[in-house]
Amino acid sequence: MTNALLSTNGLKKIYGKNDTIFEALKGIDLKIEAGESVAIVGKSGSGKSTLMHLLALLDKPTEGEIYLNGRNTSKLKNRKLNRLRNKEFGFVFQSFFMNANDTVLNNVILPLKIAGISRRERKRRAMEALEVVELDDKFKNKASDLSGGQKQRVCIARAIVNNPKVIFADEPTGNLDTATGEKIEKILFDLNRKKGITLIIVTHDEELAAKCKRQIRIADGLVVSDEKVKKGGKK
Amino acid sequence: MKTLDILRDANANLWRNKIRSFLTILAIFIGSFTIILNSAINAGVNDFMDKQISNMGGDGYLEMMPTEAYDTAMDLLGSNGVKEYTEDKDSSNASVYIKDEQIEKIGDIEGIKSFHVLANSTADYVTSDRTDKRYRLALNLVVPGISFDMSNGRTPSTEDDGPYEIAVNEDLARALGYEDVSEIVDQTIQIAVPSNLKCYTATKRSKCQTILDVKVTGTQAPGILSMGGSRGSLSLWNRINEINFEGMPAETNRSYQATADVEPDKIDEVKAALEEIGLKAMSVDDEVGMFRTFFDAILIVFNIFGAIALIAASIGIINTLFMSVQERTREIGLDKALGMSNGRVFFSFSAEAILLGFWGSFVGVIVSIILGTVASNLAHETFLKDFPTFTLTIFEPLTMIGIVAIIMLIAFLAGTLPARKASKKNPIDALRYE
Repeated sequence: MTNALLSTNGLKKIYGKNDTIFEALKGIDLKIEAGESVAIVGKSGSGKSTLMHLLALLDKPTEGEIYLNGRNTSKLKNRKLNRLRNKEFGFVFQSFFMNANDTVLNNVILPLKIAGISRRERKRRAMEALEVVELDDKFKNKASDLSGGQKQRVCIARAIVNNPKVIFADEPTGNLDTATGEKIEKILFDLNRKKGITLIIVTHDEELAAKCKRQIRIADGLVVSDEKVKKGGKK
Repeated sequence: MKTLDILRDANANLWRNKIRSFLTILAIFIGSFTIILNSAINAGVNDFMDKQISNMGGDGYLEMMPTEAYDTAMDLLGSNGVKEYTEDKDSSNASVYIKDEQIEKIGDIEGIKSFHVLANSTADYVTSDRTDKRYRLALNLVVPGISFDMSNGRTPSTEDDGPYEIAVNEDLARALGYEDVSEIVDQTIQIAVPSNLKCYTATKRSKCQTILDVKVTGTQAPGILSMGGSRGSLSLWNRINEINFEGMPAETNRSYQATADVEPDKIDEVKAALEEIGLKAMSVDDEVGMFRTFFDAILIVFNIFGAIALIAASIGIINTLFMSVQERTREIGLDKALGMSNGRVFFSFSAEAILLGFWGSFVGVIVSIILGTVASNLAHETFLKDFPTFTLTIFEPLTMIGIVAIIMLIAFLAGTLPARKASKKNPIDALRYE
């Protein structure tokens, strides 16, 4: 448990009370090592998104613990959790979540702004992140003027701008056509390979899942299979 | 997140919804405008009153009369309700006067620089060569040591054996035929003085009157304290008293009024000491007090209107921010997912509220100063023409800053409700929100 980046122990999540009670997760034990690329696969309602939210420390489990670098996160204060999410995690969402009226640059800057980094430094780092997704020439554009693929690339830039250890991607290609989706996938896997960023992708797209080195299948709130393909593959 | 970044973003967010922000600011503006203008008028009136008091020789001027006389006057005015008759509390002031031993004691009171017992002097009418009409005369005495607000000429003599002189008020000068009031200076007017004993038996009033030629030394500027009255020199005053009491026993010629020039910081002690020897003293401040109280009451009413407008504006702020929280639910979710603390989310919304308050009150100050100055200038040319020393609106920088600060505080308090709602949002729910 000590060497794992993320590990869980008997993770349960229950929504609602009495009549409307719903057990989304029924006891999950997982270990994710640093540098892995993990697909969490399942049908809608299987509990895969709930699992991601818990792993990403966006929500607290009803029962069980989550360890990050061996530390029990349930004992951390909110401030510490906020800092961890800001510094260690990057997020890519299916529907982007951008401030449409703002510029590309300002969208990428957001995590740095929240971290309280100086204006000059955050612009420099945001431009670097935009170079990685090849959108540095569009930094002045309004976010709403971009195409879907470009928007998702901006979101990836936002996710990596703070040099995170983990990127959580929730259906990152769900709203994109195949060709654009493949481009996004390439960027994400490159980040995983070249920078060693741990990738945790939630998806029901089998093709995307197959590109990850490990697939965790969730059904009815339980892990039904946990396969590592190409074990010890190219690195 | 840095405070400066939050303020900058809050300001940017305000201008995202221009019309909504503008209307909210307009509401705050109306409230702050009312209150700021009120405070400026209040400052203007107070300044004028202070000038009036200093015109009257400053804060050291006291008028006194026997407490009995004062009480009887108040009793007769009915302000103390119905009173029972006793031997020593009758309904007249005929037997009331400042007694010799009281006069002695006045001299011993510490803090009184000089005092003067005023003889009783009354005139019948005043007229001039330029008019056939005769006018009743409200005559006061020039008091040594007290300066009066003269619009033309000088104050009449305060010497015991000086000439018969008078300073008339401007309205009287016009009535006496001097349309240009400055022309009356150095002219001679006639004052008819009655001899009380003769008048008691005279078949015609004119038979008992003595006509005195009096030189006009100047005209008195109109003010709330000197309105109506004219001021005679000491020798004129004494001569009138002599004529009034001609042939009457000396005991009947008694005074019930005195004035004193007092060290201003000892005025309360002096008043208390005079009270002890049976004299009721009133300072100019006491006399202006009535007017001031009345005026303050009007301002309080207007300030209540301003406060009501501000309460309405606060509800506007709450409404605006609730809408903003609603619209930006996903944005808040993203901010929180990316590590923004509840406190900072709260602050980013209350910063918007504070900025709304700031802009509303700031524009309120600017517009008040512009309109107030225009109104003040207009007033000087119209209804305040007769009061050149009255500045209608005075804008004191500290008061203005204070009002802006208070309105920003009110806006902040109004903003706490929506800001709390924003800060309590769960990031996952917020991100799912469509």
